[in-house]
Amino acid sequence: MSGILNPEIIALLLLDVVFLFFGFIAFILSLKIALFWDSNATTKRQYTLVKQSYLGAVIIKYILALKIPLILFFVFILDELSTILNGAMCAAGVINATPYGTYLLVLKIFNIYLFLYWLYLHKVDEANELQPYTRIKFALFSVLFFPFLAEIVLEFALFSSLDVNTLVDCCGTIYSFASQSYLSVVMRSFGSSYLVGLFYFLFLAIIMSYVLKKENLFALLNLVFIVVSLATLIMFFGTYIYEMPTHHCPFCFLQKDYNYVGYFLYTFLFLGTFHGLAVAFVPATKKMQQSYYKTSLLFLSLYVLSVTFYVVRYVLVNGVWL
Amino acid sequence: MIELKNITKEYVPNQKALDNVSLQIKEGELVVLKGASGSGKSTMLSLIAALGKPTTGEVVVDNKVISKLPDNFAALYRRENIGFIFQKFHLIENLSVYENIATPLIPSNLPPKEFSFLVQNAMDRFEIAHKKNVIVKQLSGGEQQRVAIARANVNNPKIILADEPTANLDAKLSANFIEILRELKKEKKTIVIATHDPLFFGLDFVDREVEVKNGVIV
Repeated sequence: MSGILNPEIIALLLLDVVFLFFGFIAFILSLKIALFWDSNATTKRQYTLVKQSYLGAVIIKYILALKIPLILFFVFILDELSTILNGAMCAAGVINATPYGTYLLVLKIFNIYLFLYWLYLHKVDEANELQPYTRIKFALFSVLFFPFLAEIVLEFALFSSLDVNTLVDCCGTIYSFASQSYLSVVMRSFGSSYLVGLFYFLFLAIIMSYVLKKENLFALLNLVFIVVSLATLIMFFGTYIYEMPTHHCPFCFLQKDYNYVGYFLYTFLFLGTFHGLAVAFVPATKKMQQSYYKTSLLFLSLYVLSVTFYVVRYVLVNGVWL
Repeated sequence: MIELKNITKEYVPNQKALDNVSLQIKEGELVVLKGASGSGKSTMLSLIAALGKPTTGEVVVDNKVISKLPDNFAALYRRENIGFIFQKFHLIENLSVYENIATPLIPSNLPPKEFSFLVQNAMDRFEIAHKKNVIVKQLSGGEQQRVAIARANVNNPKIILADEPTANLDAKLSANFIEILRELKKEKKTIVIATHDPLFFGLDFVDREVEVKNGVIV
């Protein structure tokens, strides 16, 4: 018999049902607004759409604002499940236990950026009495509804297909340099020292592009920084958090043994890079753009300092590199 | 300048409280909207105050289409431009005179000195300062009316809207209210009064009387 239900999973799935119900209402409203909104019109339909836009925006705002932090709860659940799945040592094993886990995780990360983008666009729209982005933001949600829906479907698929009797791989196997997994092949193809150099170079380049106020470059560098940061976290920095040269898991440091530091690292990274992208992609006033720059630099700096701390501490304590 | 352009308002589908109404009110004008209960006078006031949105048409105040303002901006517009005097005063009955008059100023985050000065000024002007700390439910109808007028004027709005302002007043207090209106008119405020009280008809300082019947201007 496959499928696992514990209180946390039931809570998450119940929330999904609530989100789906309200999300569907918002989707219908969004379609109507995207198709028929005419800010110059003084017709009955336009005034009705204005009222519906308030309702739609409130629903979407609360769903997305709750969905974003729930990724941390989702990862926490996976981590909890690793204790009952044979072979799993952390969330990595649970993710790989079914065909849906990896897709779901990748989709969730994409959705964080998309949902945050919608929320920021809404914030800009609300701050202007002419509400210039109303049609765009509802058109955007009409599209966003599908990855939102896919995420919920995949969540149900993942939890209903987990089988406690199946032996799953542990993270040591999945993220081993020696394994034949796609990730391992990618990791073997790059030297970690090159990547670490690129990581710090990118961080400095991001700071420089802020000084030069090159917003497109700033956003582009942030985009590359996401990939390079995740790669260096797995290949290099993670080993210093674990103090084990062969352990490359991006999930174990979410556990209590490592003071849940992973939650902080991923939050810093995602918030930092999102605001970096927002500088170029969210239409904003100069003041708002300045705050995006600063928020991005703050979180990226926290991320870089945090991962660097583990390396420096290890070298100072042990006098050698891993 | 206040402009109602082809306004229709339905609270219930296909029952028109206002039917394709157009009206222009110039700056500094005092207009009396007269008509029986249910004719649509109060609806016109609430649309000018951006308390509701029309079903069709638009309301323009000083070249700004206020009928399309999002709720947060509509509130800002009211705070900066509108003083509203209601038939039943709508005072907060457990607060003092001072506190009631001060309420429109609270969101403005004024410095405490300026805040107190404006409230004191409004109380002095409408002769209610001697009851400053009295809870409003202990006041007479006339005194409550003065508090309501002081509250409507404390933020020095350009537009004063009054909905059946004398409905709860006796003849003497109604006459006092007329005198207060005369003073406000001298200050070049735009004033719109919705009433069916004959006391307002034919007054020398009223610029225009507009009759509303079954949701249309006749």
